[in-house]
Amino acid sequence: MSQAVTAAHASAIEALHTAYLAALDKGDMAAWAATFASNEASYFCISAENDRRGLPLALMYDDCRGRIDDRVSFVTKVWAGTYQPYRTRHFIQQLSMNVAGANQYRATSGFMIMMTPEGGATTILTSGEYRDLIDIQGEGDQCRAVFRERRTVYDADVLPRYIVFPF
Amino acid sequence: MSKYQAGTYTGEAPKVWPAKVNQIPKEIFGDAALFEEELKKIFYGDTWHVVGHTAEVPNIGDFKTFDLGRVPLLIARGKDNQVRVFFNSCTHRGNQLETSVSGNRKEFECPYHRWLFSLDGALAACPGSKEFAPDFKQENFGLVELKTDQYLGLILVTMGKNTPPLKEWLGDIVPLTLSALLGGDGRLKLLGYQKVRYVSNWKGYNDNDGYHGGLLHTAFRMLNFQGGSGSQPMSVNGHWVIEAELKPAQNSGFLNDPSLIDFKVADPKRGSLVVQLYPMTVMVKHMDVINLRFAIARSHDVTEVHYAYFAHEDDSEELVQHRIRQSSNLLGPCGMVSMEDAAVFQRIHIGNHTPGVAEFQKGVVSLSELSLDMKQSDETGNLPRWEHYRKVMGFKREGEQ
Repeated sequence: MSQAVTAAHASAIEALHTAYLAALDKGDMAAWAATFASNEASYFCISAENDRRGLPLALMYDDCRGRIDDRVSFVTKVWAGTYQPYRTRHFIQQLSMNVAGANQYRATSGFMIMMTPEGGATTILTSGEYRDLIDIQGEGDQCRAVFRERRTVYDADVLPRYIVFPF
Repeated sequence: MSKYQAGTYTGEAPKVWPAKVNQIPKEIFGDAALFEEELKKIFYGDTWHVVGHTAEVPNIGDFKTFDLGRVPLLIARGKDNQVRVFFNSCTHRGNQLETSVSGNRKEFECPYHRWLFSLDGALAACPGSKEFAPDFKQENFGLVELKTDQYLGLILVTMGKNTPPLKEWLGDIVPLTLSALLGGDGRLKLLGYQKVRYVSNWKGYNDNDGYHGGLLHTAFRMLNFQGGSGSQPMSVNGHWVIEAELKPAQNSGFLNDPSLIDFKVADPKRGSLVVQLYPMTVMVKHMDVINLRFAIARSHDVTEVHYAYFAHEDDSEELVQHRIRQSSNLLGPCGMVSMEDAAVFQRIHIGNHTPGVAEFQKGVVSLSELSLDMKQSDETGNLPRWEHYRKVMGFKREGEQ
């Protein structure tokens, strides 16, 4: 796939990455869910060990839009008041982007997540790789990018704490 | 409100425990010196420890590494299909032999002096051996194997001298539930892991009870999860068993994808099975999730847990897919139901650095004797384990000779 990425598409994709990181760094789960396609979308968060070994089990296995919306409920309704709060800062670096079809791209990025428990010092939660399938909706300058699929492969063989928010 | 008595808190585990059987001194959770004693008396003592399941190493040459306390282990499947557990240490100078978490090898080679070990542990080659000490015999330098036994594929080891045979140590009650939990015959297929460290003492990680279920876990209430009948049959040696009915939940629109809580093959009458083998292995079968939690006591305040999930070898592809989808999102350190348990493991560790005792109330009928008749939603089920721990560690009760 050597087709070029148009400037409008590239800027829509950059805006999508920014919206994703900003949503999680604000702890805004509804905004997180809004970065995914509204009809058919999936989000996986899996350890590099499982991924490397071909083991399908994930930490978060949201293979349909319903499960992405359910994850919003887990965080905002089910778990509210039980967990020790923490804030995150996500940083990403794009590694590759290729045309996957009409108005569709495959992209990979490296990421790092810093975490700050309330009252505590900032440490690294994990680093990893985002493997994305991104759809472009709309035309020209009005176009918008959404995740059709985001597969988050995290590096930590052992996570340093239990997890509330998606990566 | 009760007042703190000045000068009574030391942070050190008290030698004498309260006379009441439902009280546990909180200082035992935060005492680093006590952890060293526990390593000697429990982890390196006369107790069996679960270190894995044979389904994690299904093929000849497959291995995984694990730790028992601070002792590194190497678990490998030999050419004869036997799964053995060795100390992960070269028999020459003690160098760590295998550095990977898992993999497949034809043999294990120590890079330091190129000593080579076959999959069954035998020393196959050692360069320069003509000039070795006069008493050197190659056959005496195979990898050191721990005393090992298996129950339906579950791999257990012990470093103690007087550990009872596994069958006796498990007792009569545990196998009734554990066999069902392991799919009846233990022929499991590994689906993957969720691995996490908790800032929690191993005993706090282990102290979840039958009382909290419908209270801590909001999902149970939102789903109108009706717990049916259940039991906590009394078992020996500090083990703990719960069997409970799970009536199919009424989703009432809370979940957009209710397949998360579907029963495909599990019998709702035995919808929830929990076996906790002393000292720290929790195994659960909840709906169609088969989850073995291999745990490592890293220090007095770090516990590492490898949540391993399995399907059964005879499962259809569709059933395997259901198990993957249910296992990933229901239990574990980010599961809809159990993230809250993980939060409690850490919060209880912080809160236990305070004076006084941890209280057990639900189901307690006597302050001087352990209850033998425990309901599924009681927290008295934890007390026989605490009593076993107290005796192994040699703590006396007030008034005890």
